[in-house]
Amino acid sequence: MLHIAKQTAPIIAILTTLGTVQAAEVKIGMLYPITGGGAIYGSPAMTGHRMAVDELNSQGGILGMDVLSVERDTKLNPATAAAAAKEMITKDGVNVIIGGLSSAVGLAISEIAKQEKIVYIATIPKTIQLTTTKKHEYVFRTASHTDFEGDAIAQIAKQLDAQRICDIQLDYAYGHDLADGIDKGLKRHLPTAKKILSLRPKLRATDYNVFITQILGAGCDVVTSGLWGPHFVDFAKQATPFGLFKQIKYITGGEIGSHEIAGSLGKDYPDNVWANSYELWYHHPNQEHETFQNLLAERLGTEETAMWPILALIGVRMYAAAAEKAGSLDAAQISGALKGLTIETPVGPRTIDSETHQADTGQFWGPMVEKEGVPYRVMDPITYIPAHIIE
Amino acid sequence: METLVEFLRTGMASPGITMLLNNPNFVLIQVLNSVSMGMNFFIIAAGLSLIFGVLKVINFAHGAFYMFGAYIMYSVTETMGLNFFWGVVGAGVGLVLLSAAIERTLFRFVYDKEHLLQLLLTFALVLILGDFAKILWGTEQYSVSYPDNLAGATNLGITYYPSYRLLLCLLGPVIFLAMWLFIEHTRWGRITKAATQNREMLAALGINVPLIYTSVFIVGSALAGIGGALASPFNSPTPGMDAIVIVECFVIVIIGGLGSLWGTFVGALIYGFVFNFGSVIIPNGQDIFAFLILLIVLLFRPWGLFGRPEMEGH
Amino acid sequence: MTDPMTRSTLMGCVATLVFLLSVPLFHSAYLIDVVTEILIYALFALSLNVIIGYSGNVSFGHAAYFAIGGYTNAILLTTYGWALVPSFVISILATISAAGIVAYFCTRLTDIYFAMLTLAFSMLVWAIAFKWRSATGGDDGFVGILIPDLIGDRTRFYYFTLILVTASVALLWSICHSAFGRTLVAVRENAVRAGFVGVNTRLMRWWAFVIAGTFAGIAGAIFGMFHRGMYVESAFWTQSATVLIMTLLGGMFSFFGPAIGAATLFILERITNEYTEYWPTVLGVVLLVILLFLPDGLSGLARRVHAFTTKNK
Repeated sequence: MLHIAKQTAPIIAILTTLGTVQAAEVKIGMLYPITGGGAIYGSPAMTGHRMAVDELNSQGGILGMDVLSVERDTKLNPATAAAAAKEMITKDGVNVIIGGLSSAVGLAISEIAKQEKIVYIATIPKTIQLTTTKKHEYVFRTASHTDFEGDAIAQIAKQLDAQRICDIQLDYAYGHDLADGIDKGLKRHLPTAKKILSLRPKLRATDYNVFITQILGAGCDVVTSGLWGPHFVDFAKQATPFGLFKQIKYITGGEIGSHEIAGSLGKDYPDNVWANSYELWYHHPNQEHETFQNLLAERLGTEETAMWPILALIGVRMYAAAAEKAGSLDAAQISGALKGLTIETPVGPRTIDSETHQADTGQFWGPMVEKEGVPYRVMDPITYIPAHIIE
Repeated sequence: METLVEFLRTGMASPGITMLLNNPNFVLIQVLNSVSMGMNFFIIAAGLSLIFGVLKVINFAHGAFYMFGAYIMYSVTETMGLNFFWGVVGAGVGLVLLSAAIERTLFRFVYDKEHLLQLLLTFALVLILGDFAKILWGTEQYSVSYPDNLAGATNLGITYYPSYRLLLCLLGPVIFLAMWLFIEHTRWGRITKAATQNREMLAALGINVPLIYTSVFIVGSALAGIGGALASPFNSPTPGMDAIVIVECFVIVIIGGLGSLWGTFVGALIYGFVFNFGSVIIPNGQDIFAFLILLIVLLFRPWGLFGRPEMEGH
Repeated sequence: MTDPMTRSTLMGCVATLVFLLSVPLFHSAYLIDVVTEILIYALFALSLNVIIGYSGNVSFGHAAYFAIGGYTNAILLTTYGWALVPSFVISILATISAAGIVAYFCTRLTDIYFAMLTLAFSMLVWAIAFKWRSATGGDDGFVGILIPDLIGDRTRFYYFTLILVTASVALLWSICHSAFGRTLVAVRENAVRAGFVGVNTRLMRWWAFVIAGTFAGIAGAIFGMFHRGMYVESAFWTQSATVLIMTLLGGMFSFFGPAIGAATLFILERITNEYTEYWPTVLGVVLLVILLFLPDGLSGLARRVHAFTTKNK
C-alpha cells in the first residue's frame, strides 16, 4: 500500500498545484520568524495564523476541503525565507504563501512567488515597494505601509499644531521609507511645519543619548519617529531622565501603542506619546472583535493579548475568501479574485485595491495614558485613521 | 564615488555641528554621554580583556554572559520584586555559577589548543547559550526599571544629567581601581600575573594553575553579567543582544590592547567619544564607526594602545 | 591533502558526478533546488579551505568575497543589463581585486589578528552593502536579478551550476595539488623553516587568500542568480561563521572534506528545522563535537574508519 501511495503522491502533488485535480486538502504555507530576534513577533503571529486555520476547518474548510498549515521559520533572514518559500512550493506543494515580517523578507518571498507563480499575501511587511515598484500579479498585501503610516503621523502632527519637527528613524529601509512617508504627509496636511533635524540611529542601536540630547538642543516641539519594539523601550528609558517627554510631543509609528510594549514598560512608559497599533485587546470596534479576543486569550493564556495574531489571521481569511470567490485554487484565479475583494475582520472591513494589490488597512492611533487600576498605559482616546490618502 | 561625497556632505552640514559650535552646554552633555557610555562598556569589556590576558582565549560568549546578567536582573527585580541591588548581586552569582560550570566542563579542554579551536568553542557556546536564554525567559519584550532614587536627573550646576548614568561614570573607575589593586596587590593577583608569563613554572612551584584559570574565567564572566545587570535599565533584555554587545567589546579591547586593563579603560573611553561625537558630526554613519576604528587599529597598530607587540607576528 | 588522487577517491568522485548528472531525472523540483544550493555552498567551503587547511590561517570574513561576487554580478546583470559572460567575468575580477587588497594587509599579521582583520574588512563590506541603498538595495536586498533565458529554467540552471562548480573544483584541485599547494602546506606546517628554504611565505599566503576569494566570488555570483536576489546577510559575519563550520565539519585536512561538510550541514539544518526551533543549539553541539572529538572532521573520521577496517583485513 505504502509504495503505491509513494508513487502516486508526487503525481497528485503536481496535478494539485496545477489545480486540475481536487486534492484532499488545501495547503497554506506560513512564513514567520519563529526563532531568533524576530520570534517576539513571529511567534504570536503564528498563533493567529493557526487560529485562522482552525476556524476555517471548523467551518468546513475551503471549497469543502480541509486546510493544512505548512509552517516554516524565516529567521528574519531573506535568503532563508526565499529558500523556505521555494521548499514549501516544490516539496510541500503549498497553494499559497502567507506571512513575512521584515521588508526584506517580504520582498524575497514576493520574488519567489513571482517566479513560481504562487500567490503571496504579505501580512506584516510594510515596505512601499511591495505594492509599487516590485508589484506583480501574485503579490498582495494586507498590512499597512509606510505611506499610510507617515500620512497618519502627519495628520496627528497637524492636530498637535507642530511647528518645528525633529525626525528620528532607524537607519534602514523601513526608517527611510517612513521618513519619506512622513514628508509626503506633512506636505499634504501641514506644509507650515519645518523639519529641523533628521536623526538616524543604526538598526539595533543600544545607546540613544547622543540623539536625545540633540533633540533637546534643537528645540523642536514635536518628534516624529518609527522606533519600534526594543528600540522604543530603550529610547524611552534613556530619554526619560533627560525630561525629553516633558518638552516635546512624540508621535511614532512602529506599533508601540500595542500592549506588548505598554505592558512591558509598565509605569516607565513615558508621557506625551502618540502611538499606533493594528489592534488593541481592550478595544472592540465591532462584536466580532470580542469573540476573537476571547478565543485568542484562551490560546495565549492571558487576557492581555498581543497585537500580531490579528494580522496573520486577516491574511488567511483573505485567501480563504478569494478561493471561495474564485471557486478554484488556481493561483491566477485567486489573484483575480483577490482584486477588489472585501472581507470582514475583527478590526473592521478590509478591501484589496485592484490596482495596487494593497488592502485599505488603517490603524488605531492615540495618546498613551495612564489608567486607574492597571499597571500599564492604554490608548485613549482611540481614533481609527483609515488607509486613505487624499491627494 | 559620488555617493561617498554626498554621504560626507550631508554629514558635514549637520545641525549637530552647529550645536556643538554654538553651545558649550551641549558639548559638555556630549562629553558626559561619551564618558558614561565608555564606563558602561569598560565594566562589560574588562572581563573579556582579563580573560584574554591570562587565559589567552577570546571569549565570544562574553556577550552571552552579558545577556544572562540582564535577564537575571529582570527576573530578580521584576518577577521576584526584589531591590535593584539584589539584582546586581543575583547577576554576579548567577554568572559565577554558569561560568564555573562551563569552565569546568568545556573550557579546560581548549587551553592548549589552537586559537581557532578556542574561538570556535566559544562560538558554539554563544549558539547554545542563546537558545538556553530563550528557553528560560522566552521571547517577550522585557523592561527593567531604574532604581528608585536614581531614575531622574542630577543638577550639575551647568546642566542636568541623568543620575543613573552619572553613577556609571563613578562605578567605572571604581571597578577599574578595584581590579587594578586586586591584580597588583594581592597574592591571587600576583599569581595570576605570573601565570600569564610562565604557567609551567608556576605549576612546578606547586601552585594549582587550573584553579587560577578557573577563578580568572569566573571573575571575568561575572563582570560581564554585572555589566549586563547594570546596563539593563537602559539596554533592555532582548534576544540577540549578545551579538550586538560583543562587537563593541571587541572593538574596545582591540583598541586598548588585548589583555591590558588600562587599555580597556582607555579604549572604552575612546570608543565612547568617537561614537558620540561622530554621531553628532556624521549622523548616518553609526554603522560604520565600530568597524572603521577596528580596521584602523588593526592596520596600523594591531596590538592596540597598551598591548604587547609580540602578539603580532609575520 | 596534496597527494595524488587515490583510487577510492577517484571512484568516489566519479560516482558523485554520475549522481549529480542524473539529479534532474528524478523530476523533483525540490531535489534540484537542494542540490544546486549544496553545490554552491560546497564551492564556497572548498574555497575557504585554501586559506584554512592549506595556508593555515583563519578567515572570519570569507563571506565578503561571496557577497562582492554576488552583488557585482547582480548589479551588472540587472541594473546595467549586461550579458552573463561579461558580467560574470567582471564580478570575478572585482572579487580578485578586493581579495588582493585585503590580503595585502592581512598577510602582515598572523593568528588572531589576521582573523580579526578579515572580520573587520568583511563587516566593512557588509556596512557598504547596507548603506549604499541606491546600488545594492540596502537591507531590502537586491531583489529581482535578471537571469538570461538560457539558464532561466530550473534544470538548465542546475546544469549551469554543475558545470561551473565542477570546473572550479577541478581547477582548485590542480592548484592545491601542484607544487604551489605543497609549498603552501609546508608554510602552514613550519613557516620559519619554509622561510629559511627561500620561500616567500607572505606572498604564498597572499596567493592563497586571493585564490580562495576568487572561488568564493564565483559561488556568490551563482548564489545570487539562483535566489534571484542578493541580501546583506550574505556579507554578515554569521555567513562567514557558517561556511567556516562547514569546512571544519567536513575536515580541513582533506581536499573534498569541506564539500562533504557543506552538504552535511545544509541537510542537517533542513532536517532539524522540521522538528525543532532550536537549530542554534544543534549547530553548537555539532561544533563542540567536532572541536573536542573530531578535529579533522568527517573526512578525517572516514579516513580513520577506513584505515581501521583495512588494517584488520
